[in-house]
Amino acid sequence: MIAACREIRRNILRISKASGHGHIPTCFSVVEMLYGVYQTIRHDPANPSWEGRDISILSKGHASLGLYCVLAHFGYFDVEKVHSYGAFGSDFGCHPDRLKVPGVEVSTGSLGHGIGVGVGMALGLKLKKSDRRVLVLIGDGESNEGTVWESVMVASNLDLDNFTILFDNNRSQERCLPIPNPVERFRSFGCDSIEVDGHDVEALKEALSRRASGVKVIVANTIKGYGCRTLAENIFAWHRRSPGEAEFQKLMDELDAETV
Amino acid sequence: MRKQFKATVMDMAARDDRIVLVFGDISVYLFNDFREKHPDRFFNMGICENTLVSVAAGLSAQGFFPIVHTIAPFLVERSYEQIKDDMCYNRFAGNIVTAGATFDYAWDGATHHCYSDLAILRLLPDLEVVQPGSKKEVDVLLRSQYNNRKTTYFRLSDHPHDIDLPVQFGKGVALKENGSDLTVMTAGPILGNVLEACRDLDVNLVYFHTIKPIDRELIEKFRHTRILVVHDAFGLHEAVCEIQNLSVSYHGLPDQFCVWYGRVQDLRRMIRLDPAGIRECVLEKLACGSADRACLAPSHDPA
Repeated sequence: MIAACREIRRNILRISKASGHGHIPTCFSVVEMLYGVYQTIRHDPANPSWEGRDISILSKGHASLGLYCVLAHFGYFDVEKVHSYGAFGSDFGCHPDRLKVPGVEVSTGSLGHGIGVGVGMALGLKLKKSDRRVLVLIGDGESNEGTVWESVMVASNLDLDNFTILFDNNRSQERCLPIPNPVERFRSFGCDSIEVDGHDVEALKEALSRRASGVKVIVANTIKGYGCRTLAENIFAWHRRSPGEAEFQKLMDELDAETV
Repeated sequence: MRKQFKATVMDMAARDDRIVLVFGDISVYLFNDFREKHPDRFFNMGICENTLVSVAAGLSAQGFFPIVHTIAPFLVERSYEQIKDDMCYNRFAGNIVTAGATFDYAWDGATHHCYSDLAILRLLPDLEVVQPGSKKEVDVLLRSQYNNRKTTYFRLSDHPHDIDLPVQFGKGVALKENGSDLTVMTAGPILGNVLEACRDLDVNLVYFHTIKPIDRELIEKFRHTRILVVHDAFGLHEAVCEIQNLSVSYHGLPDQFCVWYGRVQDLRRMIRLDPAGIRECVLEKLACGSADRACLAPSHDPA
């Protein structure tokens, strides 16, 4: 685990403990993906609405705390502000609001929405003959929603080669409706689909930079709770829990020792 | 109305290259010449109503004025959450234009009936709800609202009325104002039947094409009268009732599925929204007089 991603995870734990909120395991599964995205795309934290930016959408909005901590790392705002997470008067809700948080492109929460809006944005950029790109991070659990597959069909049919789907393959739905063989599944929808280790930042950056023919899908194999064995081995118990004092110290120690 | 929709959009699109059409495999042949003229701005995206709305929201985010169009129940009732989240909450405004109002597809059965759209959409913040009754209203209201950065719902019908009225967004029209104790309020194409039913009756008659924002000022003028809302949908009655302390009753849809086939006229007759049924209802109200509060109960159950 690279140092920046370890520190982002520490912030996630700190803020979750302080606020009493947070989907920690799912936030931990997307840290490297989001970190890799913001290292790769064109963006300007000092001017989040810069017209030349690429667009990154977190469709699985319940990983908002992960997104906030990554955006803070890249300088969109001070991470101290995020400590109000989920509290009355805070701009930092448990699902992100694009009108409140700099860098958030689409307000998400209900699953299966961000991807369709991203398709529309990518189409709009094509119509404007812009070379800007749209990237959408979706979850495998989110992909239980039919709208995900509608959007993939439409994006593929429109041949949107400026559109990238990052599929967080953290196997969260093994208990009810898993999405087996996602690489093949997306390929069968006409996408240029590849598989990477979702915790390998360099591999993610290489995949993000690769030119694709048509819609690009990066299936990122991840571990829910990556970095803390306690979380990774008890993903359902920890789905939306925040740690108490003793648990927090244990998780911080595990993170420092990198037990997963 | 759909032909007027096309004619108006053709003209608007020639003047504004930010207009993009997102269709759900309906009215496609009607828009053939649009597609030929603006191939990069016409997308027959498929039978995927949820995604049509989300994609339109994304186009709006990129500065376009999207017009999403398909059959009313599938676009509104199926995609309500996309309209709520992607267009309204995100403020990625779009234009939603439907065909198949109320019983326009009478013969297709209850899956294709749509009479809740106006009522549920008017509950969403930042959304305008328009029910044009005539071709002129389609033309004027589309032109005035398509680019105002608010999501606007336009409900088209295959059975417009042909009554020529002044049209201004958000403004109702008092067609008859004769000092009666009873005011009939209506909206959209059913005005034709209402006017025929009430032509020689001693009632005030008020008409709306804009359900949200409702013309509160006009309604207030008739506060001292009993109000009978006659409408072949939900939505207008609720909008009128938002004004406090009025005496309002509703003559329209029953609380049951209308499980008959046939033509729109057949279904309207079954629920007393044909001219004879409306007239009968209005006469009952007139006979009751203002003292009889029982008159304010729902007027009819076709069961």
